[in-house]
Amino acid sequence: MKKYEIRYGGVGGQGIITAGALLVDIAVEMENKFAIESPTYTAAVRGGPTKVDVIISDEAIDFPHAQAIDFFLCTDQKPYDIYKERLKDDAIVVVDSHLVLELGDTRHWRVYHVPIINETKVGAGNVVLTSVVSLALTQKMTNVISYENMVAHIKHWAPKGSVEMNMKAIEVGMNLIK
Amino acid sequence: MSQRKVLQGNIIIAKAALAAGCDFFAGYPITPSSEIAQYMSKEMPKMERAFIQMEDEIASLGACIGASLAGKKALTATSGPGFSLMQEHLGMAVMAEVPLVIVNVMRGGPSTGMPTKPSQADMMQARWGTHGDHPIIAVYPAFSDEIFSETVRAFNLSEKYWNPVIILLDEVLAKAHMDVEIPEPGSYEVYWEKTHEISDLNIYDRNIGENPPRIDFFHSYPIHIDSLEHDAHGWPSFDAKTVDKMQRLRMEKIFYNLEDIIKYKEYFLDDAEVLVFSFGISARAALAAVKMAREQGIKAGLFQALTVWPFPRAALQERFKKTKKVLTVELNMGQMKYEIERIAPPDVKKQTLLRANGLPFSPGEVLETIKEFVK
Repeated sequence: MKKYEIRYGGVGGQGIITAGALLVDIAVEMENKFAIESPTYTAAVRGGPTKVDVIISDEAIDFPHAQAIDFFLCTDQKPYDIYKERLKDDAIVVVDSHLVLELGDTRHWRVYHVPIINETKVGAGNVVLTSVVSLALTQKMTNVISYENMVAHIKHWAPKGSVEMNMKAIEVGMNLIK
Repeated sequence: MSQRKVLQGNIIIAKAALAAGCDFFAGYPITPSSEIAQYMSKEMPKMERAFIQMEDEIASLGACIGASLAGKKALTATSGPGFSLMQEHLGMAVMAEVPLVIVNVMRGGPSTGMPTKPSQADMMQARWGTHGDHPIIAVYPAFSDEIFSETVRAFNLSEKYWNPVIILLDEVLAKAHMDVEIPEPGSYEVYWEKTHEISDLNIYDRNIGENPPRIDFFHSYPIHIDSLEHDAHGWPSFDAKTVDKMQRLRMEKIFYNLEDIIKYKEYFLDDAEVLVFSFGISARAALAAVKMAREQGIKAGLFQALTVWPFPRAALQERFKKTKKVLTVELNMGQMKYEIERIAPPDVKKQTLLRANGLPFSPGEVLETIKEFVK
């Protein structure tokens, strides 16, 4: 891997920006990569469309925003409509199967429809765990970070008393796409 | 090499300021700079350093002037609207020769403008925002490691030359979380030559071009500090000869030391047909663009200004002896392009890429402009 570009889109409060922050932390602090995470930053925090671009590279990164996206995960229609740009041909696109229904022309991408939000609520027990579920899904689909480092980091990062539910969220994320 | 870690741009500035010895912060929170004040409010009390949230930006810089006169290394952080309010006190700091550092994380303007969008439109405000002829130093980091090193350098320059130093930063980088190497203490210079020993009270007396001494103004010396024009002792004076000398002392402490103050980075310029002049986030897009241009056989290079004021005139003019095309890339309606026009010889073709709609330039856009320009 020389350079890998990831974009998460969602609505404020789902935890998508946290997923980006976790990914960068693991890539830099556990895997010695170069990485940068640029979140959208607006007044509409809760319920508004948000996205975060993450670039992970073996070399220092010149420009911090994604220019040719390898992996796009989106958990709502509105951010999908706004942010489905700059995707590479053959990009992996993962959308929430209940919340992103109108995909438009997807001929050049590998698209997966997955009930991310619903499975997070049912399987992991709380929608705030969308961040960790999305992270695990990214790990499985891209291998951009190692599974072991992800688990170790989440154990360390999870607030006291929440390690078990975060581990459960990883399990949910790993099993969303067989 | 120390382990790289992930930090937000604003936090890198705060950590660097503490590393440079900043022991006083007064500010009023404003997007997109607020994390600097937030971090300082948590960390400075633990280090027995002073943090004050003031009632506004005017008071913030006033408090910084007072603290600096009492021997502290003072910092404030703001954005365009707050920087506008600070201009009066900025002038006083210049006039009374008070070292302090101001961070301006720029956002879309004018007025309250676009609080959450990037802009590079305070370039001329940093130079000429306060009235009267005055010297100013402004630095503008673009990469994570530069955000640390330029912040430390800003403190050093302000202490060395008794002058306010402005750090400009892009909203995009202030808010991003990125890998950064925080150097070990001792591996970088921290300038601090505070003295309590002065032989006479003519504190402003020195030869033109010389650095003033850094004294603790309040250390039992009856010293007068005034925003009015003053004599060597600090007392108001409008005597033409005295005023002439004081004006020169202030201006020339900077202009006699350009080599020490001006810093820039050059990429692929030795054989370049087109020189891209840029800074901050636009320089990062330009660097990616220049690399892509090289892959396509176009001889493009980048001049990234780290010190934007004083303007890196001599270094650019050296390049213009060989490179006869210059492209200025800046996120505003055209500001630093006038500096380029002023210093580039007539046989150098000038082009610009300008925008002020809240969207940073992408490398692709810069590349297209380079290609069009070399045709």
